[in-house]
Amino acid sequence: MDDLHDETGGAMKSLDDYFDPGFTVDDILADAKTSPYINDAYYAKLRADMQEWDAAGAPLTEAERQDYEALILQENWLLDRRNFERWYQLYTRECVYWVPAAHDLPANAELDPQSHVTIAFDDRRRMGDRIVWLRTGVAYSQLPPSYTAHHASGFVRVSTVTKGEVKVRSQFILHEMRANNPVQTLSGWMGHVFKSEDGKLKIDRKVVCLLDAQRAHHNLTFLI
Amino acid sequence: MPDPTDYSDLIEADRVHRTLYTDEQIFRTEMNKIYGGTWTYLAHASELSKPYSFVRRTLGLRPVIVTKDRNGQFHGVLNRCTHRGATVCRDESGTARRFTCPYHNWSFDNTGALVGVPMEEGYGPDFDKSKLGLGKLRVAEYRGFIFGTLNSELPDLETHLGHAARRLDEWMDRWPGGRISVRHGQHKLICNGNWKLVNDNSADGYHPGFSHASLLRMRKDRYGGGVDMQWVLGNVDEGLQTVADLGNGHTFLDQRREIERYWDQSAPMPGEDSYVETLRTRMGEKAEAALDMVMGSGMNLNIFPNLLIIGNQIQVIVPRALARTDLIWYSTSIEADDIPPEINSLRMRLQEDFPSFGEPDDLANFEECQSGLSVPEMEWLVVSRHRTTGKEYVDEHGHTTGPVTDELPIRAFWAEWQKWMTSTTKLVAQ
Repeated sequence: MDDLHDETGGAMKSLDDYFDPGFTVDDILADAKTSPYINDAYYAKLRADMQEWDAAGAPLTEAERQDYEALILQENWLLDRRNFERWYQLYTRECVYWVPAAHDLPANAELDPQSHVTIAFDDRRRMGDRIVWLRTGVAYSQLPPSYTAHHASGFVRVSTVTKGEVKVRSQFILHEMRANNPVQTLSGWMGHVFKSEDGKLKIDRKVVCLLDAQRAHHNLTFLI
Repeated sequence: MPDPTDYSDLIEADRVHRTLYTDEQIFRTEMNKIYGGTWTYLAHASELSKPYSFVRRTLGLRPVIVTKDRNGQFHGVLNRCTHRGATVCRDESGTARRFTCPYHNWSFDNTGALVGVPMEEGYGPDFDKSKLGLGKLRVAEYRGFIFGTLNSELPDLETHLGHAARRLDEWMDRWPGGRISVRHGQHKLICNGNWKLVNDNSADGYHPGFSHASLLRMRKDRYGGGVDMQWVLGNVDEGLQTVADLGNGHTFLDQRREIERYWDQSAPMPGEDSYVETLRTRMGEKAEAALDMVMGSGMNLNIFPNLLIIGNQIQVIVPRALARTDLIWYSTSIEADDIPPEINSLRMRLQEDFPSFGEPDDLANFEECQSGLSVPEMEWLVVSRHRTTGKEYVDEHGHTTGPVTDELPIRAFWAEWQKWMTSTTKLVAQ
């Protein structure tokens, strides 16, 4: 297996250097205004990912924890702090953030996003749309806003045949609180595909498989 | 407590009473007399493509199963064992020749007939299985849309749909020879509000510029003017959209005259630029008409009481309790030899747009309505917009039509609601 740790030279050791502190929602407004990379080949890659995610994983080594687990924990923290502009910087230029609306058991054809709607299927442009939308201040489903607490555990590395990529699967529980509403609990597993881009370790694809993906949900307008 | 036999104290020409949304007894009556009294949407034929397929649904709060028999005929049966009352079908969908109750294994064929009772002789010589089939709905289909009722006196479905059937034809026939497929997943959104708050909104052309400010502002800030739904901004009464009362509680909001070029005015969607290039390279000029099929229809067609055809989606209102409603958005694709698969992939991505950035804001507002309507001292809701402004007219089909912010559709809904709530027709499961 490739190990991006070597390529990135321990980029995760200093997260202070990772983010552009001057990057704001105005930068997102001007970024990725077309959607040129979601095509048949990309969907095929996501179907192949789901096959690979199904395999048993190996607990992370200490070095892998420093890179991959640390980045996932950092992602969770940024979302919990509602720091979406930094969250956006964790992702590659041809990324996807995908929350299926179907159960993720193997061979479920309804899981294929090419032929089925999802709870979220954000390429880089729609990810930007979502952040701009959250920041308008008039998204009434986020007024009052959601606050989340992500709890992640069970990090394992899953084999992949794709060179230059690392796959890490983890279990999560997420609590969400909006004023005037009961606290919601979501759980399931996530798959993160890491790549190196511009000398930094980045998330190329993230899939969030909710335990109750196929059931009705109350207000999923926050980021998981 | 309102008088259960007459709701005229609660429904006036220009206002309706808050208890219509907050009273438990009214809700229970609605679930029995409206859902099941009139033709109620149950399922789409494309969800039942194979012989012996079934889907589990509700008729009001009644659990029902919609089935397709070996001859392709659709049936609706109550999901309630005639022995002790347990549900006999517990899967959401599938194929089954028989439904066997897990409790004592009474077994029913997929038309509801009782075909097996373990140790039947124990019920004595007079036991008659032919009288113990599952309760049956009266079921009818209009071009794939399957409706059910427990009312044997209703006119046939097409008569009942009336001009709404013509609008449904227009929605289905956007691509000549295309068939609508409803097998591509759903958005299932929970609203902690009364189901009628959804109906109130479904042909409400007054709210979009305000309730959807987030979506409109995000689009404008990022992509400028000209795209998706910009026609809902400003004084829309001076625009080209209309609402109409199609009779029997069916209503229609028509945005189509505001759309010059469907593809150009579509909301953005993942894969847009990659697939456009593929299609234009492969199909040349023919790609343009196909691309127009990605964008929503520009139609909001509401079929009383629970079916909303909006954009490219089929929305079904599923009341669960007085202040709990599931709103199910069934995505659709078009099946036709000359529709390339890329069009349907783009349709999937576009059909995620409004459930992500539009509908949640409405649902949040409906929930706040439910909260506000709990105030006993503030009794009324206003539904009078454009009732007396002289802007309404009768169109060439004889339907009252008004500017898009006219609250005419809400008034038409309540007239139909009152008809069913005061109906004395006995509903029977045959």
